[in-house]
Amino acid sequence: MSETNSIAGQVLRDMFSTATSWLEKSSADIDALNVFPVPDGDTGTNMMLTMRSTMEEAYRAPDNSASAIAHAMAKGALMGARGNSGVILSQIWRGMAQGLDGKESFNAAEMAEALLKSADIAYKGVSNPVEGTMLTVMKDAAKEAKAQVDRGEEDVIGLLEAVVNAAGDSVARTPRLLKVLKDAGVVDAGGQGLYTILEGALRFLKGELELMRLRKPQIIVSDLPSTVPLPQATGVDEVPFGYCTEFLLKGEKLEPESISKRLEKKGESLIVVGDESAVRIHIHTLEPGSIVQFATKLGTLHQVSIRNMDEQHQDFLEMQKERMPTTDTAVIAVASGDGLKDVFGSLGAAAVIPGGQTMNPSTKDILQAVQSVPSENVIILPNNKNIILTAGQVESLTEKKIKVVPTRTIPQGVVALLAFDYEADFKTNAEIMEKALSSVKTIEVTKSVRATRINGLHIKRKQPIGLLDDELIAAGDTDLDVINKILDKLDMKEAEVVTIYYGEDVQAEEAEKISASITEQYTNLQVELIKGNQPHYSYILSIE
Amino acid sequence: MAVKIVTDTLSDITGDLAAQLGITVVPLYVRFGEEVYRDRVDISSEDFYRRLVNEPKLPSTTQPTPNDFAEVYRKLAQETDEILVIVVSSKLSGTYQSAMQAKEYVKDKCRIEVVDSMTVAMGEGLIVVSAVNAIKKGAGLDQAAEMVRKAHDRSHLIAYFDTLKYLAKGGRIGKAKEFLGAMLSVKQILTVRDGEMAPLTRVRSMRAGLDYLTSVVASYQNRIEGLAVEHTTNPEDADVLVERLDAIFPKARILRSIISPVIGTYSGPNAMALTILEA
Repeated sequence: MSETNSIAGQVLRDMFSTATSWLEKSSADIDALNVFPVPDGDTGTNMMLTMRSTMEEAYRAPDNSASAIAHAMAKGALMGARGNSGVILSQIWRGMAQGLDGKESFNAAEMAEALLKSADIAYKGVSNPVEGTMLTVMKDAAKEAKAQVDRGEEDVIGLLEAVVNAAGDSVARTPRLLKVLKDAGVVDAGGQGLYTILEGALRFLKGELELMRLRKPQIIVSDLPSTVPLPQATGVDEVPFGYCTEFLLKGEKLEPESISKRLEKKGESLIVVGDESAVRIHIHTLEPGSIVQFATKLGTLHQVSIRNMDEQHQDFLEMQKERMPTTDTAVIAVASGDGLKDVFGSLGAAAVIPGGQTMNPSTKDILQAVQSVPSENVIILPNNKNIILTAGQVESLTEKKIKVVPTRTIPQGVVALLAFDYEADFKTNAEIMEKALSSVKTIEVTKSVRATRINGLHIKRKQPIGLLDDELIAAGDTDLDVINKILDKLDMKEAEVVTIYYGEDVQAEEAEKISASITEQYTNLQVELIKGNQPHYSYILSIE
Repeated sequence: MAVKIVTDTLSDITGDLAAQLGITVVPLYVRFGEEVYRDRVDISSEDFYRRLVNEPKLPSTTQPTPNDFAEVYRKLAQETDEILVIVVSSKLSGTYQSAMQAKEYVKDKCRIEVVDSMTVAMGEGLIVVSAVNAIKKGAGLDQAAEMVRKAHDRSHLIAYFDTLKYLAKGGRIGKAKEFLGAMLSVKQILTVRDGEMAPLTRVRSMRAGLDYLTSVVASYQNRIEGLAVEHTTNPEDADVLVERLDAIFPKARILRSIISPVIGTYSGPNAMALTILEA
């Protein structure tokens, strides 16, 4: 493929015009990524409208130099910026314009410089930059551009390709940086929007117009395990969000910095950007009136928008409800140890209630979890024989329909959850899940709390003991000894998968030794080792 | 003049079977880096899967161009004045758009009806077979198209995926993304719902997967018009499944095929698909 060493102003304009149409195709998908309390509920639409205004102005540039076009784009972006993401986007164009200032056209190195400038200006525009947003994506993209130039890349398309890939990876990482994204299981909407714009520009340069007409942009999927927030975290939050207030202030000799200082204490998510003649202001405040009053003293107000965010929050909750269940049934589980909680979360439990042996949750704890999930039908996995009854009490305390699948151990809970059938109805699912319990055997290893005689065993205090499906049947010198004694009693020819969850007091090396020993003895088995971090039980083994 | 049928290679109807049915199959494209192949024309399934597993970069796939369809339409227009085009779900591929656009390039006096099958692989393939049979029995274009349009409700594709890695990377994951990120190694059972991949359930092993697939077929006993079993890299597992299904549906009538490399890009190795066309 031939190299493209330089980009002229017209190409700059055309590539981002194409990118705008590309973004437009997925703006609804990007809207759907929004997570409150990351504000503006329609990031995709806002970015698309901002880009439209950006490009309209680009066609009014006084000449066709890269500099003139970039400055026109920056102006158009500022005038038409919508929402938080739009304002940040306008700062990206402002940085680009500064980077390309005075240039007729630009090469790879100059493009990298301009991108770095974009990242820099974008960060400066936000009073409290948050990582895991489009700011991070912009920064990572610019960093990659710089790295490519340092490596000697001279082809602008090659450079942009690397930048787009880096931006995509950065978008995929956003849930690692921002908990609200992780909890909602989505990537950052603004970051996705920025990625889509860059990708659109790249596709234009690669001449993929026909392809772009037929396809639409892909939303990036996070590779992060989707964990679920505990019910406490999803409880009703009564803190008011106030009003999302934004407008364009036009005047003379405006000073964005001093305006920013004046407004700093008036609210959250403050952004003040612009120049002497036009400043865009975005803030979340409980008193929009005082902000507007202050601004009218400095100049004239345009495009004033004041939106009630509590209303937006309600809309968001509604949207969440629509988006969450592909089924109207939620499964909640009882488990302790963050490893075990994550196992249930990653397998799709809607909530995990802390509890287990010697820490049985109350009926109220379970009821609270039941109420917190957005489904009318709830299946409860108690995962302990002492919790089955408590869970059964919940049914009479809620209007939701409840089924308790009587799981007595963690492995039973896991097989029940796995057997969940997305196409089956509530009642059938409870049956399928209960039926699955017979497919697993559970070994639990713990230490005896006192000396005793039971089931023909003489047990000393603190001696390792083992339970098979809740029944004490072995005692030994070491954990491994106990495990082996129980495994000897089982018909292992039927087994296929052994999962070992090791407890909070067990060292990883110890657990690996046990895993290796089982793998060696039973060569046909698939053995999996997981840090369950559960208290009391040094090991819980699932044999399927 | 009898209606002629056109489909795409995602129906997994290729080679002898296509010839036997008397239909035209338009290939999609598979791309490894700069090398572009027509699905099972320039690259065999075996070669494809070998490369899928061994090469560091995943291949990408592209729909046929409108021109690919237009050429087929023009050629068939010499023989017939009615063409029924059955394509893969428009939520999974742009093939439907290409097939539709191609109509504008054909000046011949020939009616062309393009139907979105809303499914894929043999889910689509068994619908094509059913359409061929309907036309043999004398159905016209409108009647056959109407049957095909409704057929996805009785076409049940159930896929066993050893991993979701490939599906996630290809961005075609749809609602099946709920299965991503499990902390245990689990095998996913997916289906096609409303034209895209959707989760069904999960198992821990291939054997449990075979049990599940068998139980699904058993639940349709005596209501089965067609049954198909497909694999990617693992014919022996698919053979085991066919043997087990023999008790429910005679294995001689079970259609065997290989999952298209285009789908293989997303399903990865060791995958299986079972399709039931309800009577």
